[in-house]
Amino acid sequence: MNQKCKRFTKAVGISVLTLSILSACGDPPEEPNDNDGMETNENTGDAENNTVSENNDNNEAEVSGDWEPENDVEYIAPADAGGGWDTLIRTTAQVIDQEDLAPVNFAPQNIPGSGGAVGWAEVANYDGEPQPLFAASPPIILVPLTETSEYDHTDFTPVANLITDYSIVLVEPDSEYETINDLFEDMEEDPGSISIGGGSAAGSMDHISIAGAAAEYGLNAGDVNYVAFAGGGEAMTNLLGGHVDVVVTGVGESTGQVESGELRPIAYSSEEPIDSLEEAGAQTFIDQDIDYTFDIWRGIMGPPNMPEEAVAYYEDMYAEMMETETWREQADDLGWVDNYQDSEEFGEFLDEQFDLFEDVLSDVGLVE
Amino acid sequence: MNAWENLMYGFEVALQPEALMFVFIGVLAGTVIGMLPGLGPISALALMIPVTYGMDPAIGIILMAGVYYGAIFGGSTSSILLNAPGVAGTVATSFDGYPLSKQGKAGKALAIAAYASFIGGTISVIGLMLIAPLLGRVAVTFGPAEYFALMVFGLTAVVSLSDKSLIKGLIAAVFGVMVSLVGMDLQTGTARYTFGSVNLLDGIDFLVVALGIFALGEVFVLLKKRTGASEQNPLGSLKLTRKEMRDIAPPIGRSSILGFFTGVLPGAGATIGSFLGYSMEKRIAKDGDTFGKGNIKGVAAPEAANNAASGGSFVPLLTLGVPGSGTTAILLGALLVMGVTPGPLMLEDRPDVFWGVVASMYIGNVFLLMLNLPLIPLISKILNTPRAMLLSLIIIFCMIGVYGLSFNPFDLMLVLIFGLIGFAMRMYGFPAAPLILAMILGAIMEENMRRSLQISQGDWMIFIDKPVSFSLLILAAVSLLLPLILRFIKWVKNR
Repeated sequence: MNQKCKRFTKAVGISVLTLSILSACGDPPEEPNDNDGMETNENTGDAENNTVSENNDNNEAEVSGDWEPENDVEYIAPADAGGGWDTLIRTTAQVIDQEDLAPVNFAPQNIPGSGGAVGWAEVANYDGEPQPLFAASPPIILVPLTETSEYDHTDFTPVANLITDYSIVLVEPDSEYETINDLFEDMEEDPGSISIGGGSAAGSMDHISIAGAAAEYGLNAGDVNYVAFAGGGEAMTNLLGGHVDVVVTGVGESTGQVESGELRPIAYSSEEPIDSLEEAGAQTFIDQDIDYTFDIWRGIMGPPNMPEEAVAYYEDMYAEMMETETWREQADDLGWVDNYQDSEEFGEFLDEQFDLFEDVLSDVGLVE
Repeated sequence: MNAWENLMYGFEVALQPEALMFVFIGVLAGTVIGMLPGLGPISALALMIPVTYGMDPAIGIILMAGVYYGAIFGGSTSSILLNAPGVAGTVATSFDGYPLSKQGKAGKALAIAAYASFIGGTISVIGLMLIAPLLGRVAVTFGPAEYFALMVFGLTAVVSLSDKSLIKGLIAAVFGVMVSLVGMDLQTGTARYTFGSVNLLDGIDFLVVALGIFALGEVFVLLKKRTGASEQNPLGSLKLTRKEMRDIAPPIGRSSILGFFTGVLPGAGATIGSFLGYSMEKRIAKDGDTFGKGNIKGVAAPEAANNAASGGSFVPLLTLGVPGSGTTAILLGALLVMGVTPGPLMLEDRPDVFWGVVASMYIGNVFLLMLNLPLIPLISKILNTPRAMLLSLIIIFCMIGVYGLSFNPFDLMLVLIFGLIGFAMRMYGFPAAPLILAMILGAIMEENMRRSLQISQGDWMIFIDKPVSFSLLILAAVSLLLPLILRFIKWVKNR
């Protein structure tokens, strides 16, 4: 413990120090970098920090070709620290570093703003370059559809799809709704009287997810009385207090409430059943005769016209990363489900998602 | 186990040498970060996430909690000395803290801030310990309609914050609400008042406005004065007279309790707590009209309230697993990464985390008091800095703070614009406090009004049908009409 202590003291000390330096120069990527560096420096001394270290002895990493990155990879979460994109970026950067999967550092960086649009605009400047890489999920399709971003998914190069979460429909434990069909039947009579809360703005993930399911059942997607909250947590608090009738959020976000039995799931959007949710009494939409799935996928994308050999390198690197023990542990802790797709599959998937979202959004009336 | 045994168990966790050390590091780092204008607890906590990787969850959360309440504790320093709020929760502290400092009573103001913070923090830990498991349940009864009514009630404070001219106060408040509306509307996804700019889609950050209006506005005013030589504001004595102690004790007590409950409400937190504490005391106090001109109660109340609120905000996080603010959202993320799922089960599954944090907060608050009091003479050396240098430094700190929020150069332009607005407001006698209050409360008010109406399908009766919301609206009406009624009665009597 003593040694652990020491290391963390040092880490904290340096963090504080970097923080003050950082505030002086305002350069976000340096912080995690230094920290990652320190973890390894424990044994190796200060020599190989920061810049490109030319150790070619990690052969397995480069099976796919000759290309490998020469500079530290700018690794962007187009959002604030603490959210889904940020967690993906920081976790993968840490696994890549610990497992020594790349000859350079992956330096996490936050570029928040406009649901991602500020970060995307930044990446779009690097046409034809092998980096920066950034975390992407349904908003890269949804935000441009509602015309708040200059760039859309076709402007960027898909690198690899990594993980997925699913949508979940929750009610209070003593609610009259036992299945999703109970809910939709009620909505047939008077859709407005049933308020459905979600953790994101109108026209984004949670809204699309439930509106799409309702449309599949035969309801008018535009009739869903969706109430937007500033996060899944806030939406669930409002369900606990009985202020809304139903909440739609991510499976991952609802784990605590579902496990404790405080909220009861009635449906979720994966293709295959998930044990923990089946135990809690929920079934997939498909098993309740609504032919509908909804993935909250998260993957990695790069700048426009990324060189092919760079894409090949990174898609293999991520595939390898997901085989490691370190990844397994981290992903399990965070409740992530592996959903690897290489660049080509990911690209086709994105186009399908675009068609789906565009249909739902125009049903809801948010896109002409 | 009863509360006492639980607490003893918590101290077992928090008194381990490793835990003690991290409490100390946390509050120290928090104080320093809190003092720097703009660099708030959110960015500090985000930077701590990689540090806590692989740590024992109890220790990790003890460290992060220390950074959080340490930042709120330290944030008052720059509010008082420079009129540049260190964190959003200490904006209200500058209303009276800065005038005190200008009168050469900076030492007194800083000492009061430290005592009030200590007491507020400690009272909130007691609250957290005794009633957290119950409170979580009560907090959820606050839905959109209740929030709307609470914010309406809070907004009536504009009247008391308007000093001389009510009209000018109302104009400032309306401007504040307008600023709060900029950005994407949550209920429809429509961009409002963004003029097609991507940079405005997320709205205007509260700290950008606060730093612009208060700090930069003040700098511009000082520049215009051109008094030449630096005005030496002496530190003054740190000691409080017995009368002063007696004066500030009740406001500290009241504001601590108010602050704690504000913190418990998801979505409220330290900033709103401090404003509510300040305006409550201003109304209650006999010398209410000296608030804003350097009344010590005006420092004690918001400082007690904001520290109590930071403790209170752990209630929804730890007992329900739902974060009530941006800061606690980051704490939630960090806990998840460390393999702990906060929520109702956590008290049973990981009592070491819950009770360890609670006990560490007692220790952390003592550390903070011990750290901050002796540092006051040292820190307030800032006041002796030559004026040209000090003013440039304030500008630099504001810019760094704003840039650190978003890493977006656009916000630097914004803070300058708000600096000019603040300057103009001061020149023409518009009070700044109503603007800030209306900006914070207005945004929450509007959002929850829209939510309520979405739920009720446009039926305004939702605000009347709910008893809590109805009572709050009545309170708001009474607090607005009472002075008029009293005046009317007096007028009738005199006839």
